[in-house]
Amino acid sequence: MSTRDLRTRLQTVRAYLGTYGWLALGGAILVLVGLQWLGPLSTSRASLLFFAVGLFLVVWNLLLLRATGVLEFAHDHAWTLLAVFAVGAVAVQAAGLLNSYWSTVALQMFMFGVLALSWDLIGGQTGYPSFGNMAFFGIGGYTAAVLFKNYGVALPLTLVVAAVMALVFAAIIGVIVLRLRGGYFAIATLGVLLVAIQVARNLSITGGTDGIILLDVPDQALIYYGMLAVLVTEIAVVYYLSTTRFGYVLNTIRDDERKATAMGINTTYYKTAAWGLSALFTGLVGAMWAPYNTFIDPATAFNTAWNVEFIVMAFIGGTGTVIGPVLGAFGIRSLVFQIDSLFTGWQLVVLGVVVIVTVIGLPEGLVGQLKQRASALKYYEYGGGAAGGAEAADADATEGGND
Amino acid sequence: MSVVQFVVNGLLVGSLFATVAVGFALIWGVVDIINLAHGEMVMLGGYCSYWLIQLAGGEVSVGIALATVPVAMAVLFVVGYALQRVLIQQVTDESLFLTLLITFGISIAIQQLAIQAWSATPRSINVGLADPSIFVAGLIIPKMKLLAFVGALVLTLLLWLFLKRTRRGRAIRAVAQNPQASELIGIDVEHTRAVTFGISAAIAGGAGSFIGMILGLWPQMGLNYTLKSFVIVVFGGIGSIPGALVGGLSLGTIEELTAGLVSSTWTLAVSFSLLIVLLVFKPDGLFGQSVEGEQ
Repeated sequence: MSTRDLRTRLQTVRAYLGTYGWLALGGAILVLVGLQWLGPLSTSRASLLFFAVGLFLVVWNLLLLRATGVLEFAHDHAWTLLAVFAVGAVAVQAAGLLNSYWSTVALQMFMFGVLALSWDLIGGQTGYPSFGNMAFFGIGGYTAAVLFKNYGVALPLTLVVAAVMALVFAAIIGVIVLRLRGGYFAIATLGVLLVAIQVARNLSITGGTDGIILLDVPDQALIYYGMLAVLVTEIAVVYYLSTTRFGYVLNTIRDDERKATAMGINTTYYKTAAWGLSALFTGLVGAMWAPYNTFIDPATAFNTAWNVEFIVMAFIGGTGTVIGPVLGAFGIRSLVFQIDSLFTGWQLVVLGVVVIVTVIGLPEGLVGQLKQRASALKYYEYGGGAAGGAEAADADATEGGND
Repeated sequence: MSVVQFVVNGLLVGSLFATVAVGFALIWGVVDIINLAHGEMVMLGGYCSYWLIQLAGGEVSVGIALATVPVAMAVLFVVGYALQRVLIQQVTDESLFLTLLITFGISIAIQQLAIQAWSATPRSINVGLADPSIFVAGLIIPKMKLLAFVGALVLTLLLWLFLKRTRRGRAIRAVAQNPQASELIGIDVEHTRAVTFGISAAIAGGAGSFIGMILGLWPQMGLNYTLKSFVIVVFGGIGSIPGALVGGLSLGTIEELTAGLVSSTWTLAVSFSLLIVLLVFKPDGLFGQSVEGEQ
């Protein structure tokens, strides 16, 4: 047996050990937490965090073991799953099962789901890493706040105007910045965000650094339904688009824009459309968030920490997928809530570390990893292992006596 | 104040921006990374000097303040080398998005740890001077700013000489041109890249010490300097030290003129609008080679 052969086998063993090892670790954590719950220590936030981590490890590794089946199931029943999610989320709120804390957590999870998915539309699907999406959120929020406060416009109407404003702004900015690629695009969009902050600080209509206080806002449950509706709509739209020519063109632009142009595709049109769609949804949740928060000022409307947070969410979930960013948003947002109550002030440190670890350890994201595992499983299922062995043998032969 | 005074102020401050940008351009050119944590190196360098001077009693003479600059540079060299070796090296040859993201992650982590450790209060290094300003032809020139100006130019010049004249400098330029070929002729590419990262961090840290003496320090200051560096590098062209110098001096002048003639609350908006305009109309910079084919 050559060393190369041995190495391949060791890697296989390690991969399996890895999955089962993490599974065992997660199980152990669950058992420990269960014992803690039954014992005198009772429940604390810390044990809830442990429970979440343990549950994640177990579920994730079970998913990895059954990657093919899981993906096929999700693919076949996508619309049913979305409907179940929507109905379930409405039901728990309507039945009053959520107290105000968990309602807040869920509402923010939905909001970040929209933000991450919107970012992914331009950053993941189209390959333009925008670092300025938060500008649309702020523009939406300010439009709604100013219209509501100064002109007494009804809130539902302000939502429409806010979304249109974000769209128009995106179209104008897009014509300029979408000509840039890669790092240049990233920094230019970050520049757009910072300019937006300064403009909001200096104009009188936005209330300068003092911001705008909103009174007589609708209650939280209504905004909960609103955020949920936007999220479900956006998932449906993005999922539908990803099966159409539009979605394929976006992915083509990401993979090779010159080739796409050479094929006669008007890439500017598609890029601007994706960017505009991204801005539309981002602006819409911004417009909902302002009355929910009852206050808007430059630092919160153009929150630069959130700006990174939803990129990280999309990235951890898996860029270029539909469900990845949403799952990433749910996971990270609930994690941030827990860390916030356990170690106040450290959430951004944790976020930074999570980013670094994920970039190095899981560059494909969770859903991307699941897809990779599924294709690897299929490869072995159809006798790919033998083919791989033959290739390795060929490689050995050509390399001569190196081994 | 007269327009000439604004220009002089701008040139004095702009030299520091230029020095920070030179380090940024160095990593971009050699390791092919847009280092979003570069501003944090400036911040760390400034805090290094600050704490050394606090240990020495708070307000010190010019000589001691200057003596802390090499110490800060040495510390930052180690930080930069370690960052590249341990973290960034893992994704160096992967997609640009990953390197952007990992450096952004490092930037947040350092910045937030700095807030936890030293609080978000702005601080500044107090240097005792009996006679703080000199007057030339009706212009006021603060001595500290003049000193920082000279210091920044010296740092830039040293880097330029290092890259042109020493063996290690040649190795760095070789790696920038062609990593594979450099490896073939026996250059340890990863080590050279890490050294480059260290040098870049050291230059930024040295500039940070001077910035702490004349402009002040706070944990979230980094992002501004990263973006300024980006503006300057785009303006001057990637991999061009003279370009970065001219870019830095111009940016400083433009900012001071905006602050003086319009309002200091608009400086950032003006410089970032300028960045976007520059990116769109002159992406090759004024001095650099073409950046076509950037993925």
